[in-house]
Amino acid sequence: MRLIAGKGELWLALLFAGVGALWIFKGARMPVWGDGFAPDSGFLPLIYGCLLAGLSAAVFLQVLLGGTPPADDVRKPLTVIATLAAAVAALPYAGFVVAVFALLLVLYAAVEKLPWLSSTLASAGTTGALYLIFKVWLGVPLPAFFP
Amino acid sequence: MSAFNDLMMGFSTALTLKHLAMCFAGVLMGQMVGVLPGIGPAAAIALLLPLTFGADPTGAIILFAGIYYGSQYGGTLTSVLVSVPGESSTVMTTVDGYQMALQGRAGPALGIAAIGSFIAGTLGTIGLMLLAPALARAALAFGPPEYFALVALGLTALAAVGSSVLKGLAAGVAGLLLGTIGIDPQNGVARFDFGKTWLLDGVEFIVLTVALFGVGEVVASCVLGTVRPVADVKNVLPTRADWRASRFSILRGTGIGFLIGVLPATGATIASFLAYIVEKKIAKDPSRFGKGAIEGVAAPEAANNAAAAGAMVPMLSLGVPGSGTTAIILGALIMFGIRPGPELFAKNAELVWAVIASMYIGNVILLILNLPLAGLFARLLRIPYRWLYPPILALCIAGVYSQSNSLEDCGLLVGFGVLGWLMKRYDWSMAPMILGLVLGPLFETALRQSLTISHGSFAIFVTRPISAVLLALALIAVVAPLFFRKKPIS
Repeated sequence: MRLIAGKGELWLALLFAGVGALWIFKGARMPVWGDGFAPDSGFLPLIYGCLLAGLSAAVFLQVLLGGTPPADDVRKPLTVIATLAAAVAALPYAGFVVAVFALLLVLYAAVEKLPWLSSTLASAGTTGALYLIFKVWLGVPLPAFFP
Repeated sequence: MSAFNDLMMGFSTALTLKHLAMCFAGVLMGQMVGVLPGIGPAAAIALLLPLTFGADPTGAIILFAGIYYGSQYGGTLTSVLVSVPGESSTVMTTVDGYQMALQGRAGPALGIAAIGSFIAGTLGTIGLMLLAPALARAALAFGPPEYFALVALGLTALAAVGSSVLKGLAAGVAGLLLGTIGIDPQNGVARFDFGKTWLLDGVEFIVLTVALFGVGEVVASCVLGTVRPVADVKNVLPTRADWRASRFSILRGTGIGFLIGVLPATGATIASFLAYIVEKKIAKDPSRFGKGAIEGVAAPEAANNAAAAGAMVPMLSLGVPGSGTTAIILGALIMFGIRPGPELFAKNAELVWAVIASMYIGNVILLILNLPLAGLFARLLRIPYRWLYPPILALCIAGVYSQSNSLEDCGLLVGFGVLGWLMKRYDWSMAPMILGLVLGPLFETALRQSLTISHGSFAIFVTRPISAVLLALALIAVVAPLFFRKKPIS
């Protein structure tokens, strides 16, 4: 985990370069220059793809030659992201209220290790406030429990 | 006289109960996000975007502008009381402000910062009122090549504000690239939808903004440690000697801040650094600086507030944002169906002048809030971040979902949130990505129209003088940081 954290920027630059390459690949398969004088649908995506791939490759080299920074612990941010992803995945099945309440409770009680009573009260209060704002006040059809 | 009449019209709109409430809410929230750790004005505006979607644009922009300049006040509190700058633009305030706090003079430091910010904010708004319409009038003759060059300047200038021009440019191009997802605005062809119908509408500005500035910031900040001890705040009103020592520093800081703020690729941070350096250079006894000199608080505070008003000049008149937060406000204008740029003053005069008028009102509210209530705001510093970030994440989900009742958008929120965390972690500027997404369609349309006019010749961009100058400025924005590296100030 620490190793990944130290070389993370290289992966980030590679990700951007990969997206650039995908745009070059797909952009080249679209009409690039129209019958008239103006560029067609594929022109700018192709240019953007080339630019992004080139710039990201330059950042990659810069980071590589500059030496990677010391690794630090990324367990907590990854746990927060995983909890958020699980809550979003649960939205269509558990509904907004249950998924968001569970997200808050896990973050407060399990990730931050705050007292259970305070965590439950804070989670319930926040979920209730969001429900009131979005469902009652703004009329948003929030995902329901087992729709 | 015309500007005065327009301003009066703006006041008549801004002084309605609804807009006054928005202005108050904006500056109060700005003050709070300036104080609270792990959430800045850009994130606060991003989180509020879904709530204002479909609402009155004037009220929403008044709210966002209030958050922007209000946060400059709030950032001062953390700089002075715990030696942690709430915003990058208040770094210089930390140097002498915290020393004053250690000497038991936190009150006068905050007092002179509030008064200096008020004077600078008000004078900066006068400058905005006089300069922006004139600049917009001059730019009314812009055609497609000039718009193309303007967007190029906006993107490169914003990329140059961050720590690395290369990373900023990559982020800007990534934003433009994301803007090509969906239906081609020119000929209706579907692009980069990967067979998913929900991608035909493209990536929504709100989704990307909330993901990068909401989720990304929160995940990056969730490792924040324990709360630092906070200095006590007593006797906020500065003494006569304090005022005498600071009054010209405030005026100099205002001038420097406004001029720097107007220039693209600069912003409030550079303005406050420059104002501090100038004060130290012209001081009779420069050795006092760094040991609690009140001029070292007054000048950078005035500069960062004047720069916030100055940054609104290119944003409102040309559609070129000078900072990350103004880039999001610009995106919000487009979300409301308003085209920022030279036509804004002609077609949406009521909105623009109401926002300018609200900035006068907001500065008065901030002064009233800050002098007696500085101690109360200081208590916010004692709230641990672990209590704050879970509700912010929940608000991100609700906000993104509510925008188009789409569960797929919530999936994108997580994906772009991870990207935002990585970008924040490795110091990749995120604002150019937002600006690229927002201005992508205008950029593409302007390019295609220009080349149609020129029968396919790219020379049109350099043979038209305004376009050539704007492109030259864009080039300078990219090249200049290579020669003028940012040096740490001792």
